[in-house]
Amino acid sequence: MVDFSWVPRSPLEKALVTGAHGARGIEAGVSLTEIRNFDLVQVMARRGKAAELAKAAKARFGVAAPNAPKAILASDATLICSGPDQFFVLSKGGKHTMPTLVPALSGPASLSDQSHARVLISISGARARTILAKLSSIDLHATAFPIGAAAATSMDHTSVTLWRGRDRPDGKAVFNLLVFATFAESLWHTMLDAAAEYGVDISHSEELG
Amino acid sequence: MRIVCPFCGERELGEFTYLGDAKPVRPEAGASEDEVFDYVYLRDNVAGQTSEYWYHGGGCRAWLKVTRNTLTHEISSVEPAAGAGATKVGA
Ligand SMILES: [Zn+2]
Repeated sequence: MVDFSWVPRSPLEKALVTGAHGARGIEAGVSLTEIRNFDLVQVMARRGKAAELAKAAKARFGVAAPNAPKAILASDATLICSGPDQFFVLSKGGKHTMPTLVPALSGPASLSDQSHARVLISISGARARTILAKLSSIDLHATAFPIGAAAATSMDHTSVTLWRGRDRPDGKAVFNLLVFATFAESLWHTMLDAAAEYGVDISHSEELG
Repeated sequence: MRIVCPFCGERELGEFTYLGDAKPVRPEAGASEDEVFDYVYLRDNVAGQTSEYWYHGGGCRAWLKVTRNTLTHEISSVEPAAGAGATKVGA
């Protein structure tokens, strides 16, 4: 009899090699970190139920869900706008999963578990904006894209959801990016190429930024 | 050309896909053959203001109705197309 082991694996398992990459002998200008083991549920208002969803979301999360391109950093979840009348619930540790969110939100909304359908990448460091500027047409200057700003956009012709998280302890900006799992490896290589000249520190983490 | 998506803000053309003329309205069931022919095949080739559908596939995945001047590419309005989200940004 065959023993199956259902171990979730990252779509970046082969592409991601931890450690230093690109230019050597300088302090890495870019940190690329894949965040693993998160819960991600997409919540989309049923037609005409946006106001009702807003109410239910407020009751559930204690904060208003985004109704503009924003990421709302709540205490135990991040609510990220993914389009009109829809948002992602990103969390960890089983607090906000399909079984817990469906009873609260499925009246006014359709829910879809995206936990293993997307890859979450965190980009930070002194040159984070510089490499993102090579790949994105979004203005990521601190005044135009402050903490909590979000965008559904394209990088290298690939759809991504991009938002700015809380700054690192050293004050450097952190940009988080969700990409469809099947496109993650391709985008990862593109990001590595873009960042190589500044020196890249590659890692993966269980912690949400 | 850049389009100001009512949900996402100003984005480059590469994020959008053009569908076509937003004017034709699907005829009711039982419409005459001429009306259906007109709806399916006949289009105005306007030199000036046109109304057209664009899809923001590289962004929020909403359909938009764009009023554009074909002579200058100047865009005078962008609205969510019917069904593209019940509320607008900030509403
Ligand atoms: Zn848009």
